[in-house]
Amino acid sequence: MEIKKTAIAGTLESSDVQIMLTQGTDGIVFDLVSDVAKQFDDAIKQTINQVLSEYGIQNVIVKVVDKGALDMVIKARTVAVVQRALDTVGEPKWEVL
Amino acid sequence: MTNTVQDIHMSNVTQKKNWQAFLSKLGITKFNDQELDAIEQTIGIYDDEQLVATGSIAGNIIKYVGVCAIGETSKGARFNQLMTALENRMALLERFHQFVYTKPLYVQSFEHVGFKLLADSSAGVLLEKGSPDVQNFLNAIPKALQGVQTIGSVVVNANPFTIGHQYLIEKAANENDLVYVFVVNQDVSLFRTAERFDLVKQGVKNFKNVIVVAGGDYIISYLTFPSYFITNTQQVINYQTTIDARIFKNIIAPALAIQRRYVGSEPLSHTTNLYNQTLVRELEPEIKLIIVPRIAQDNQTEIVSARKVRQAIAENDFEAWSEIVPETTKKFINQHLAELQMRIRKGQKINGN
Amino acid sequence: MAIEEKLRRTMMFVPGNNPAMVKDAGIFGADSIMFDLEDAVSLSEKDAARYLVYEALKTVDYGRSELVVRINGLDTPFYHNDIKAMVKAGIDVIRLPKVETADMIRNLEKLVVEAEIEFGREVGTTHLMAAIESARGVVNANEIAQASKRMIGIALSAEDYTTDMKTHRYPDGQELLYARNVILHAARAAGIAAFDTVFTNLNDEAGFKRETELIHQLGFDGKSLINPRQIDLVNQVYQPLKKEIITAQNVIAAIEDAKQKGSGVISMNGQMVDRPVVLRAERVMRLAKANNLVDEEGNYIEK
Repeated sequence: MEIKKTAIAGTLESSDVQIMLTQGTDGIVFDLVSDVAKQFDDAIKQTINQVLSEYGIQNVIVKVVDKGALDMVIKARTVAVVQRALDTVGEPKWEVL
Repeated sequence: MTNTVQDIHMSNVTQKKNWQAFLSKLGITKFNDQELDAIEQTIGIYDDEQLVATGSIAGNIIKYVGVCAIGETSKGARFNQLMTALENRMALLERFHQFVYTKPLYVQSFEHVGFKLLADSSAGVLLEKGSPDVQNFLNAIPKALQGVQTIGSVVVNANPFTIGHQYLIEKAANENDLVYVFVVNQDVSLFRTAERFDLVKQGVKNFKNVIVVAGGDYIISYLTFPSYFITNTQQVINYQTTIDARIFKNIIAPALAIQRRYVGSEPLSHTTNLYNQTLVRELEPEIKLIIVPRIAQDNQTEIVSARKVRQAIAENDFEAWSEIVPETTKKFINQHLAELQMRIRKGQKINGN
Repeated sequence: MAIEEKLRRTMMFVPGNNPAMVKDAGIFGADSIMFDLEDAVSLSEKDAARYLVYEALKTVDYGRSELVVRINGLDTPFYHNDIKAMVKAGIDVIRLPKVETADMIRNLEKLVVEAEIEFGREVGTTHLMAAIESARGVVNANEIAQASKRMIGIALSAEDYTTDMKTHRYPDGQELLYARNVILHAARAAGIAAFDTVFTNLNDEAGFKRETELIHQLGFDGKSLINPRQIDLVNQVYQPLKKEIITAQNVIAAIEDAKQKGSGVISMNGQMVDRPVVLRAERVMRLAKANNLVDEEGNYIEK
């Protein structure tokens, strides 16, 4: 599945993460800036990838600014940004939650 | 914790004064019309009644960013809250791409929230964030085929396209295997951006090795670069032209393998002459700057310029513009003369560029 | 009510879209944590806050705090999805804002039942509470409090209420006297909890203490709070006196005696102990334990 439009969710405040999705053509491409150590990058990507795959999104550019978010925050923000990018804010996909 | 984000309305004199006083204390003291008129929204973060941070949105530019650290719970918290609020407001306007022009010392703060440095100078820097970014811009430009050796470039505003532009591009086309012609993007001229772009395309269509590129967000008029944060007015033009030159040299030229840039000589405009000097200083030696003497009109006393065309349109002087524009531009003017003159009557400035 | 009465001295508001506050909400020892999806969240972030609170409820350990979510009102486009998400997350209590009629609670209950069935949660396990924020709500408080078996409490929300009454809040609280008493009576008659409104001026500690003492005197279960700093102050006001604890311990001992003897009648000092006295004793002991005034064996700890 492709996203319909560029969307952003989350904040730049402490313990949060800001995620932006843009249409892509070349798989899932990450651009990640994080306040925490590099070794957490893979964990962040894994959580986002998991949500994207549950929505069936295969091509997308993912820009992430992490401010030390817990996994559950990353998941929540990814769900929010995907629903926005699919233009389905009013119809949550309950089985993903 | 009690920090709240609120609108600041420039039409509210008390709010505006309070806002200016706050920024002045932080060393931002320039509030000229050119900077202020572009502002669409201004927000403030208030700690109880006290303004502690502010920022403004002007198109895709974030400006007049000021944050007071006094009483802050943790370092950078207010800045991050402010940037979140500004970016979310822009997202509601379907704008997901932001530029910031600021002092060099704030580069890190902006990088921490995801901005990337595009160009720097000692007085000011340019950063961007979001999408589509400079990489998307470059990816969309056709690249030279294998075997192409020399690649030249020309940047024009072409308001409108004249035989002077044509001469400059023709020279470049003759001396290079491939020439990129970038058309400045801002839609502030007598001829609209789309019109300017079309007239350039039509005017160069006989040169087979020329690619015309819309300048997008990266080939823009340096004079519009915000400079409110630079106190010393002497430094402004140098900062603007330097940033412009460095974007071209460090980002655009390498991606397209450009080796030369052609500009017209500038005997009339002091500002443009300064710009050419900056280009020499910044581009050389990696990119050769070729300054081509401007061609003169038939009377041999005056050089060809787009400004003369606009002046002639305003004065309805068919003869005057006909001899300095190519057929394609002449045809457009003839077909749209009434509309162009209407734009002038409605206040469109014609003495800029 | 079938469920055991809980201590509900402090209901701490947590902005639903703030990860730092949502994740740490459990460490302050509030009796109830109320995640706010309504006023604390801007219109464009309603969806994001809902997912954040959902994930937090699924993953964060909030200890013994009762978990409450203030959803968006019936007249908003967020109402239905808020209910579904919170029921799916297994929230203890849904707080409905701006309640004016019993029908609003019945409407909420119907949707909660549907969500419980849809997401396989035991029907009846999601509790409800109502916030009264208008004159109409105060007038109908009695019916609202009794509108559903799921109701666990009713709260006064004074900011909107005073606006509706064409006044504003004053330090002495005279403007709230009627509403407080009506809500309290409605709650007590229905056998549910009564929560007082928030006190927003964080710098006025004396004012906060005065207001808490007043609502404690009136009989409120507790107070809504906007800052963790306020929790200790409320708990101090609600802490029982030594004399009350000793009396309560005697009552509890008498109950034990009666149980041992297999007697249906509890007596103390030659008098019959009736139900309100027993309930009061139990409440005092819960408060005493919550304030660490007694040890595990029930001995009074001198401070």
